[in-house]
Amino acid sequence: MNKGFQHIVRFIILIAVQVLIFNNVQISGYLNPYVYILFIMLLPPKLPKALVLILAFVMGFTIDIFADSYGIHTAASVLLAYIRPSILSLVSVKGGEDLEDISIKQLNFGRFFTYSGILCLIHHFTLFYLEAFRLNEFFDTFTRALFSTAISLLLILMIESLRSNPQKR
Amino acid sequence: MRNLFAFLFRYHVFFVFILLEIIAVGMLIQSHYYQASRFASSSNAWSGQILEHFRNSTDYFSLKKMNHLLAEENALLKNRIQKSAMQISPVKKGQYEYISAKIIKNSYNKRNNYLTINKGSMHGIENGMGVCINDGVVGIVRDVTKHYATVMSVLNKNTVISTRFAKSNHFGELLWDGKSHYFAQLHSIEKYVDVSVGDSLITNSFSSIFPEGITLGTVNRFQRDETENFYTIEVDLSVNFGNIDYVYVIKDMLKEERLELESKQNE
Repeated sequence: MNKGFQHIVRFIILIAVQVLIFNNVQISGYLNPYVYILFIMLLPPKLPKALVLILAFVMGFTIDIFADSYGIHTAASVLLAYIRPSILSLVSVKGGEDLEDISIKQLNFGRFFTYSGILCLIHHFTLFYLEAFRLNEFFDTFTRALFSTAISLLLILMIESLRSNPQKR
Repeated sequence: MRNLFAFLFRYHVFFVFILLEIIAVGMLIQSHYYQASRFASSSNAWSGQILEHFRNSTDYFSLKKMNHLLAEENALLKNRIQKSAMQISPVKKGQYEYISAKIIKNSYNKRNNYLTINKGSMHGIENGMGVCINDGVVGIVRDVTKHYATVMSVLNKNTVISTRFAKSNHFGELLWDGKSHYFAQLHSIEKYVDVSVGDSLITNSFSSIFPEGITLGTVNRFQRDETENFYTIEVDLSVNFGNIDYVYVIKDMLKEERLELESKQNE
């Protein structure tokens, strides 16, 4: 399958899953999983960085529209995309330049966990603090962000391991 | 000039990043202005349609429960008609019009919650109208498009509802601290006021958003801090936000007349 087409399909599927399923699973205010960021994480490392930023913007903006969150997902996603290259160079030798694309197979589980974990943490903390928009709920927002990061990361790793081993499905 | 281009090109990633972040934060800041119209909300035509289709397809699972609720509500309203036919003064008669609407997107576990309903400007809905169900207040209409509208829920840090005790005329403001969707906080009740657990709170007639007397909830807990002049009161909300499907939007026919009169005081 064409690589570009594959990313477009992933974009649509992740938005659908996020908007129709995860935005409706309302267990508690402390558990808000956001799995759509997997799209930005899995973009090929060779893609121009400015293009990654623009794609992250489009992704965040779409989620913002459906969630009535007015720009917070956009801001957090763009930041994630901007930081991505530095985290990528943490987990790979040549800053990811040698990698065709990013997956558990390419990176191995430990390095993929570090990569997605750090990005997820940064994204969620930005998101929840922008949502609260004030510091007098500091600790409450902190717990929210932390718990939500854990659940998002778990879901992202689950989706990614299913995707990486299609023959075992 | 060439140096400038070279400079811009060299740091173009950073500039794109800054530009996109400015747009995003701009949207966020704009959202704090109540009157500004926002393009990026779920009430816009295509996202509204997607949400509505999905909601329609999941509706069948709750049909039985809905029928039951509607039957109960009918009975209650019938009783109320009989009672109120004698009470309503002729001036106020017909002051409020209720427009029923279906919720196509509901959220209650975010810090700022918005609902989307399937009625819009075509059906007479305008920014700033009150939204309630039989049990109590749900929120205030925010963005309106032709077919859809978003509702700023009581569970939102920007929502302030003017309220008073049903038993006395002491009034305060209802706000939400973002912790549990069952409880909100009542502010500005002075310490000399007599408060007890179970006191019910209703909307007052100070604003033209809600008619007087719609239930908001009951006092669940209260605390009297020696160093403060006001009570800390926790209110058990009468609306269960996890379980609402249909709402009423309240249209005040005399709103303009009232606003016109009130604006004269400021001149």
